[in-house]
Amino acid sequence: MDTSFFLDRFRVTVPQLGQLVAEALSQGGDYADLYFEHTTYSDLLLKDNEVSSGGFHIDYGVGIRVLKGDRTGYAYSENTEMPDMLHAARTASQIARANTALKNCGYGKGYPAAVRPDLYPESCRWMDSRSSDSIQVLKKLEAMIYAREKRTAKVIARLSWSESEIMMYNSGGELTCDSRPMGSIVASVIFSENGKNENKTSSRSFRSGQEMITDELLMEMTEEVVSGIDERFQAIRPKGGRMPVVMGAGASGILLHEAMGHSFEADFNRKGQSVFSGMMGKRICAPGINIVDDGTLGHNRGACNLDDEGVPGQKTYMVRDGILTSYLHDRISAGWYGVPSTGNGRRESFRFNPIPRMRATYMESGAADRESLIASVKRGIYVDEFSNGQVKIGEGDFTFYVKSGFLIENGRLTAPVKDINIIGNGPQALADITGVGNDLKIDNGRWTCGKDQSVPVSCGIPTVLVRSLTVGGE
Amino acid sequence: MKKEKNTTGLISKSEKNLALYCIDAALRHGAGQVRVSLSKSTLDTFGMLNGELDKVTHAADRSIFLYIFADNRYGTFSTNMLEEASLEQFTAQAVEAVRMLAEDRHRRLPDPERTEKGAVTGQELGLYDEAYGDLGSDEKSRIAAEECIWGRAGLPDGLRIISEECEYSDSVDDNFLADSSGFRGRHTETSFAICSEITIEDTDGKKYSGYWWDSSPCLSGLQRGQCSRIALGKAVKQIRPLGHEGGSFTMVLDRSVSSRLVSPLFSALNTASIQQESSFLKNSLGKKIFCGGLSITDAARTCGKPGARLFDTEGVATKDMDIIVEGTVKTYFTNTYMAIKTGMEATVEGVSRPVLLPYSKDGRLPDDGVFDAGKIIQAAGSGIYVTGFNGGNCNSTTGNFSYGIEGFAFKDGKITHPVREMVITGNMISLWNNLAYAGNDARACTRWQIPSLCFSNVDFSA
Repeated sequence: MDTSFFLDRFRVTVPQLGQLVAEALSQGGDYADLYFEHTTYSDLLLKDNEVSSGGFHIDYGVGIRVLKGDRTGYAYSENTEMPDMLHAARTASQIARANTALKNCGYGKGYPAAVRPDLYPESCRWMDSRSSDSIQVLKKLEAMIYAREKRTAKVIARLSWSESEIMMYNSGGELTCDSRPMGSIVASVIFSENGKNENKTSSRSFRSGQEMITDELLMEMTEEVVSGIDERFQAIRPKGGRMPVVMGAGASGILLHEAMGHSFEADFNRKGQSVFSGMMGKRICAPGINIVDDGTLGHNRGACNLDDEGVPGQKTYMVRDGILTSYLHDRISAGWYGVPSTGNGRRESFRFNPIPRMRATYMESGAADRESLIASVKRGIYVDEFSNGQVKIGEGDFTFYVKSGFLIENGRLTAPVKDINIIGNGPQALADITGVGNDLKIDNGRWTCGKDQSVPVSCGIPTVLVRSLTVGGE
Repeated sequence: MKKEKNTTGLISKSEKNLALYCIDAALRHGAGQVRVSLSKSTLDTFGMLNGELDKVTHAADRSIFLYIFADNRYGTFSTNMLEEASLEQFTAQAVEAVRMLAEDRHRRLPDPERTEKGAVTGQELGLYDEAYGDLGSDEKSRIAAEECIWGRAGLPDGLRIISEECEYSDSVDDNFLADSSGFRGRHTETSFAICSEITIEDTDGKKYSGYWWDSSPCLSGLQRGQCSRIALGKAVKQIRPLGHEGGSFTMVLDRSVSSRLVSPLFSALNTASIQQESSFLKNSLGKKIFCGGLSITDAARTCGKPGARLFDTEGVATKDMDIIVEGTVKTYFTNTYMAIKTGMEATVEGVSRPVLLPYSKDGRLPDDGVFDAGKIIQAAGSGIYVTGFNGGNCNSTTGNFSYGIEGFAFKDGKITHPVREMVITGNMISLWNNLAYAGNDARACTRWQIPSLCFSNVDFSA
């Protein structure tokens, strides 16, 4: 990575970076880092058959963090004039003044620079793209949806992209840079039949340039958004109660992210708040189950050449063969636990200090086939689309809204269902997994995790059978 | 370290001139109309973990948003790079970008007759507390520490506190809005807040957490020194929940979470949702849709109260108005664009400070004037008292909802045991037609004044 480009972009020199870190550590801090960001964001919105609104936005600044023990001081400046950055450094340094007796955690200095190929090269940069091309993409997608499904009443489509230039420097002298593209396209469609309306959404998001937009992608989204609309109109609310639940491959992985993944984040465990605190090395689910958080999937929405602390992105097994093997670490928790960072220190922007966050979280494929998992259920629910999940980290309780699915009766999918909730407990649900399909699918939708800050993530799962969960219904 | 006292907000005269310069620049580059929003804010937080200072943050934000109307086209643009030279280039690019979009003849600034004329200093509503400048970092840290009970909680045998996180924060938000039709408006407000989250563990290793917070536009209004005690009490009350059968029960909804079931109503009353066919309240204006006990007003111009504002995001003057009166829908929230597009009467862009009025199906309120969750539980007899939501959703098109809940079962007016892993399902219109009681205990610190509520015949699954 050409660091001179980034130094020029942020109008600083390496000696000035050293001066800022020295100021940040002037009150006795153990570690300091700087996070420079320049992001350009653009979006176009198609509504009422026209692309008649849109715009672009620029965000620029530097965040300065000081650590003393496991305590954090943080401040930022929205310009990179030295006096303003020095002021922010002095503000962040105050944390050390109040915590003089804390032990230096180490913070895992000395991570090697990323040597693998760029995870998200662009052949057609968004910055060089023309708005007129993007407008045509949205109109084409709209036309394909109307042509494919006569019950289409409204299409709202949005094409957005961002290009972020990131430069990081820390008190270990590590200078790292990353250029991060992100393109997203979303179609929300309202279908109308006999005076009743139903809506469906399809989205795709990649760390990629404009080359991600292809006719195949638009066709895929069209098929996805119109598929199952018959069932949506016919769907019922089933009778509720405890019953087996089969989670369909792909987007159901959001349940894995919310109900289990957050409990694996090391900040919750370090504070003893997670339901998995103190369970490292213990069996938490059946043998053969592997749960991964992966920052190395090329062009994936959760991919990271580097995390937001300058640590290379990695593939981390949280659960291997049913045993809890790793939490997700940033530099603070890694130092606290005495292990290397897993490269999960992420942040929304320079306005936020990094904390442990997921990237692409999924369960690896098992041995069962989808049909046999469904066939094994006498009465239960098959879910192919969740939304609005929430989890209580301490208790492990979760609730998910089922946007679409089916009743399972005597081993067969029967009546379509919608607008119900599934409720359970994360560790219990993990322990109750009795079958894992051989059909892992990563969902490339526009997933954003909102743990205090918003960061892009993705998720995936093979077809999975959970022995018993509470299903809310009539 | 003591901050310099600031009695005029954050935006300087030169920064206001910079915003006005953007209007001139956009018009010079060919825009027909322009609105500019200049925002500056600061936020300081002092976080305690287990009785010790854990995190100190200082945030200082600034941004300019441009809303450009050119050749019957419209676009929005923003930047936080506020140097005059870069703004000139930014504005020129913005006007050029707008011209790439399709025509939309419904886009224009609001009629100047409808815009606010009296928001000059930003402090007309009394939401700016000059005490903000009096607090130094040591005092702020001390306020955060005052909330902590780590090491002195006095828990019953067999319970221990796993973690206690307390936080004090204060902020100033200063917004200057101007447009090319002559509107100028400013809104400035301070906020002081404290919160605490406590996680405890019982002898079985089961964890329970409780959370409480308070905030106020003025420092003297902050209810200090009680967040951790209340949070701990909430955690302890949840210990050893029992299973509860599903069925149709009376539901009492605590004031701390009751706005969750009001929010879908406001979304459905937005003309943008109605125009997009995604509102379960389309064709409802002027009709009695809900139970006669449901009345909600918007007290937008109440001095000194959270949520109050003199103008909306377009600069349109707010007014105190009825939203729903005795079950009849009185207002759709319709901005200038939607008004022109749909032919409906323009109102304001969204609710400011909604107040849900007290109601009793029995026709009378308690003699002592206090109508809180405790009194409602007594009046309701038996059912489920919901104190928290855990996930869920409301289908904006149909009004069908399903939410995970937690809380307590109650019988003969008394709470019997905690419950969890329960789900409520239903339809928003049916639910609000089953409103039995609405209290008068909305928390003073909230923008939405929604009290404890009671609904009959709610479907619970467990």
